Amino acid sequence: MSSRILVSLRIAAPPEVVFDAFVDDIALWWRPNTLFSFTPRSPGVMAFENRRLVERLPSGKVFEVGAVSVWERGERLVFGWRQAAFAPDMNTEVEVRFDAVGDETRVTVEHRGWDSVPGPHVARHGFPNTVFLARHGEWWRDLLAGLAARTNSVHLGAGDKGRS
Amino acid sequence: MSNPAGLVSAVTYRDPKAALAWLEAAFGFELTFLIEGEDASVAHAEMSHGASRLMVGGEWSPAHASPASMGGKVTQTVHIYIDSDVDAHCRRAAEAGAEILQAPETQFYGARTYRCRDLEGHLWTVSADVEVVSMDEMEARSGLKITVGKP
Repeated sequence: MSSRILVSLRIAAPPEVVFDAFVDDIALWWRPNTLFSFTPRSPGVMAFENRRLVERLPSGKVFEVGAVSVWERGERLVFGWRQAAFAPDMNTEVEVRFDAVGDETRVTVEHRGWDSVPGPHVARHGFPNTVFLARHGEWWRDLLAGLAARTNSVHLGAGDKGRS
Repeated sequence: MSNPAGLVSAVTYRDPKAALAWLEAAFGFELTFLIEGEDASVAHAEMSHGASRLMVGGEWSPAHASPASMGGKVTQTVHIYIDSDVDAHCRRAAEAGAEILQAPETQFYGARTYRCRDLEGHLWTVSADVEVVSMDEMEARSGLKITVGKP
């Protein structure tokens, strides 16, 4: 259980603002990736609700990506991450840290546990392990860029835009 | 993520994981991207400094070697530009174990610089502009004939 992805980005806002954008506005900053979709019917709309990360699918069904195990506003968030095709013994975990650095926040995502998903599994698309992890890590970079754009929008006072 | 046109140095270490920790402690670089394989080895790593990126890797092919594997020889060096106190930066690097090859001194062209050797022998130059110097003044101070824009 050693394979892991770590991606970090500075965002120009306080940790509480970035944390709130991460959890409250995930539907607005999320960027679905067709290669790593959670279900065959994805993409849906992402949401944190009832201490779970879920994807609300167009069919009306709700897919649970994972349960939230740590919710420390402005500091740390940990949740499970699984695709619909995972067997019961396959689980990955995402830890997000929000560290204040001057006037900014260093957001660090650590995605671990991919060793529980065997090499031949469909979720890996035939990629060698480190290539798969790198592709997935690039997606996390895209996601954090989306979070940064959303957070900047909120921080500059345009936070109501995009809300339904 | 798309990469805009630019340059990124990839620096080779025998122990890239130790290098990542050292570069953060000594120079304040931030780890921005890390891929570890099932044996926890570093498959890919990037650090940031200001708007710049640096890749840190292992000796992953016969053509890639750390200075520690080459009798201390380097074929290129990396320059770090900072907008803060060079002397304080030097003290921090020394505390992290950098070998200071040239203590901070102000150059004729208006930058204060120091040079050091890292944990595996890579050479780093750290520089901050501390004075605006005209071309005439640079020539007067250095005795060099300075030509800009024409080789």
